Amino acid sequence: MKGCIIVRLEVPGVIQYRDIMLRTLSATCKLITPSARGRSSRASLFSAHLVSAVGEAYNNIALHGYAGCEPGSIKMEIEKGSDWIRVVLEDTGASFDPAQARPPDLDALPESGLGVFIMQSFVDEVTYVPGPPNILTLFKRLDEPREASPNSRRRGPAKSG
Amino acid sequence: MLFSTSAENGVTVLRIEGELDAVSVTDIRAALNTIAEGKPPRVVVDLSALRLIDSSGVGAIVSLFKAVRAYGGSLATTGVHGQPLAIFRLLRLDRVLIT
Repeated sequence: MKGCIIVRLEVPGVIQYRDIMLRTLSATCKLITPSARGRSSRASLFSAHLVSAVGEAYNNIALHGYAGCEPGSIKMEIEKGSDWIRVVLEDTGASFDPAQARPPDLDALPESGLGVFIMQSFVDEVTYVPGPPNILTLFKRLDEPREASPNSRRRGPAKSG
Repeated sequence: MLFSTSAENGVTVLRIEGELDAVSVTDIRAALNTIAEGKPPRVVVDLSALRLIDSSGVGAIVSLFKAVRAYGGSLATTGVHGQPLAIFRLLRLDRVLIT
C-alpha cells in the first residue's frame, strides 16, 4: 500500500527530543481527518493511539537501544495515505524485536514493562527488522471505531517501495 | 509538565498538567514520595489538565497508588480524558484508578 512520504525527521537519539517527534506526528495525524467535519472523536482517538505507540517506540530506542553508548540518531519517516499513516523509525542502537516482549500481567498493576504492549495495542501492524540500522514500522488505519486490541498483529506488510 | 499539591480535610490533591512522560517523570517522583510518606487517608490525582501520558508516567501513578494502598489509604484519579484516558482503558487502570 503506497502513500505519500510527507515527513522525514532526524533527531539525536536522546529522550529530550521525543517531544519534537511526537508533535510532528500529531500534526501529521490531522491531515487524514475529514476537515469538513472537523476533528471528530474518532480522529482524536487515532492521533492519541498513534502518538502513544510512536512515543513508546521512541522511549525504547533512546532509553534502551542507546543505553550505555554514545547515542546515534533516530530517524522518523511518515508516510500518509487517504486514511492511514505509516511511521518508520530507524536507529543504530541495540536491537530489540518487540515481538519478543512478554505481555504484561495487567491485573498485577505493573509499574514498568508496558511500553511495547502499548505500542503493539495501539497500531494495526508492527514490523521490525534488526540492523544496524534497526527499522521499526508502525501502521495504523483510520477505520471504524473499535477497542484497542491488546497485542494486536505483530507482523505486517513490508513498507512499499 | 507542571504539578501542584494541596491538602484539605484529610484529602491530598495532586494536580498534574501537561505531559507526564519519560522526560518529565523524574521531576515529580520526589513529590510522589513525599505524598506517600505523609500517609494521607485519601489522595486525589487531578488529571483534568493532563494532555499526554506514557508508560513512564503510568508507572509513577501506579507506584503512588500502591504506596497509598499499602498503608490503607485510597487513591483515585479525576478528570482523565483524551490520550491519557485511552492509555488508562488499555491498561485497565480505569477500573482501579477512576471513580
